[in-house]
Amino acid sequence: MTAFFRELWLFFRRDLYIAKSYRSPFIMEIVQALFGTATFYYVARFVESPALRQTLPQSGGYFAFSLIGFVFLDYLNAALDTFDRSLEEARDSGTLEHLLVTQTSLPAILAGSALYPFAATTLRIAVYIAWGALFFGFPLDSANWPAVVLVLLVSLLAFSGLGILSASYLLLFKRGNPAKWLLLGVSSIAGGMLFPVSILPDWLQFFARLNPVTYALNAMRAALLGSVRLRDVLHPLAILLLFAAILLPLGMLTFAAALRRTKSTGTLAHR
Amino acid sequence: MPDTAISLQALTKFFPPTRAGWRAFLQPFEKPTLPALIDISFELRDGESIALLGANGAGKSTLLRILATLLLPTSGYATIAGHDAVSSPRAVRRSLGYHAGSDQGFYARLTARENLLFFGRLNHLSAATARDRVSQFAGQFELAGSLDRQVRTLSSGTIQRLSLARALLHSPSILLLDEPTRSLDAIAAASFRHFLKSHVMQPGKTSLLFASHSLAEIELLANRVAVLQHGRLIALDTPAALKRQSSASTLEEAFFCLTGHAHNSPAPEAHS
Repeated sequence: MTAFFRELWLFFRRDLYIAKSYRSPFIMEIVQALFGTATFYYVARFVESPALRQTLPQSGGYFAFSLIGFVFLDYLNAALDTFDRSLEEARDSGTLEHLLVTQTSLPAILAGSALYPFAATTLRIAVYIAWGALFFGFPLDSANWPAVVLVLLVSLLAFSGLGILSASYLLLFKRGNPAKWLLLGVSSIAGGMLFPVSILPDWLQFFARLNPVTYALNAMRAALLGSVRLRDVLHPLAILLLFAAILLPLGMLTFAAALRRTKSTGTLAHR
Repeated sequence: MPDTAISLQALTKFFPPTRAGWRAFLQPFEKPTLPALIDISFELRDGESIALLGANGAGKSTLLRILATLLLPTSGYATIAGHDAVSSPRAVRRSLGYHAGSDQGFYARLTARENLLFFGRLNHLSAATARDRVSQFAGQFELAGSLDRQVRTLSSGTIQRLSLARALLHSPSILLLDEPTRSLDAIAAASFRHFLKSHVMQPGKTSLLFASHSLAEIELLANRVAVLQHGRLIALDTPAALKRQSSASTLEEAFFCLTGHAHNSPAPEAHS
């Protein structure tokens, strides 16, 4: 187990060094986050009304609601993108085969390659929220920080399974990310990103209940805006853990099968 | 450690045909029908060096990639350091150093040192051992001046040497080299061969299986030569015995004779 975590650290440090070699994008992302936050603030001011506030599950108004929806979808996007982007980069740079002939296990290679992108996305979320709190009145006084961290970690586990499934597809078919296309598409409507799921027709609410993003967003909004105790978010967390328990092993098994197949067809390094 | 470093029994590999257009979508599920290796059997003994010689497409790289656990055989067995390449790939990789013969496979934005340390640690070297080995190889491979430069700024030949250093970093007992001196200039290639001969092979601890088109390299490094043609092993013997069998005065002549080509015909790509 110690070796596994040491390997994760090696991958994290590799990606950190690579990121450090490009300096300006990080600064640009911080500035871009300010523009993004400002956009949500002014859209919220434009559409805000007492009727709208009544449909929202927590205090903080539409600005806080939509900003959390947006940044959290960024998290989902990162989870779905990270594994296949790492895989694609490794394949194109020729490092994939050299990683696979080391003594490092496949789970360590996959998890290690995802660690830095997840950390960077978490940091980006924090920057969005920080801009919101500093300049646009995003309410942080009702946040339960341990619950926020727990929701982030459990969501990461649940979404990672989907990301690994997506990487399996890339390994076999070389292009495309159907899990991202499907889940981001469904989540933008039936995930509660920019409007509450409760306003959807019944049949769409059914899809929302099958979507891990719905539970992750509910839990995150409750943890950040709802003045809740940790135990109040246990229900959505339990459902997210169930998603993780199904999707992570399924993703790993599918990836191992896809890798076996590409080793059999000789297409591991093909683009 | 068994006496046999590598044992191949009836190793066979077929690839599926390449599809284009919409049928490319079915590529992962195509049946393998194109032969790349057919019924290959031989043993590489501990401390021995065997060269794989053959024209392009003869199956040399396919064989090395199966042994490196990057490809699965269609049938037959490959045992490396006593472990089956298909059922125990991680155990196999513990004993292997693999150099793919290209100047790819490094993180371009990391320095040569950072790359070597990263791969060394992934091969379970401690941080201190990895640092020591990197310093040691930097001297032996003339990499000292390049260690702290980003890989993207290094020449193709330097990256090739870096790749060889990576393959040797964790002191593997078996080395698989696919055209190890392909991108090196004549002096660097000679220096590398000398290094392999004196530092890697001389102690008799490391077994070497390498593919090469350079007959001079083969004569210097190989105890035996495996001649492959269209995926089949057509000869396996010492360079002297191969020359004797084909009444040839050079290995080049022997190769042409064994593969059924007139000496002056351009078909095979082996060259001295």
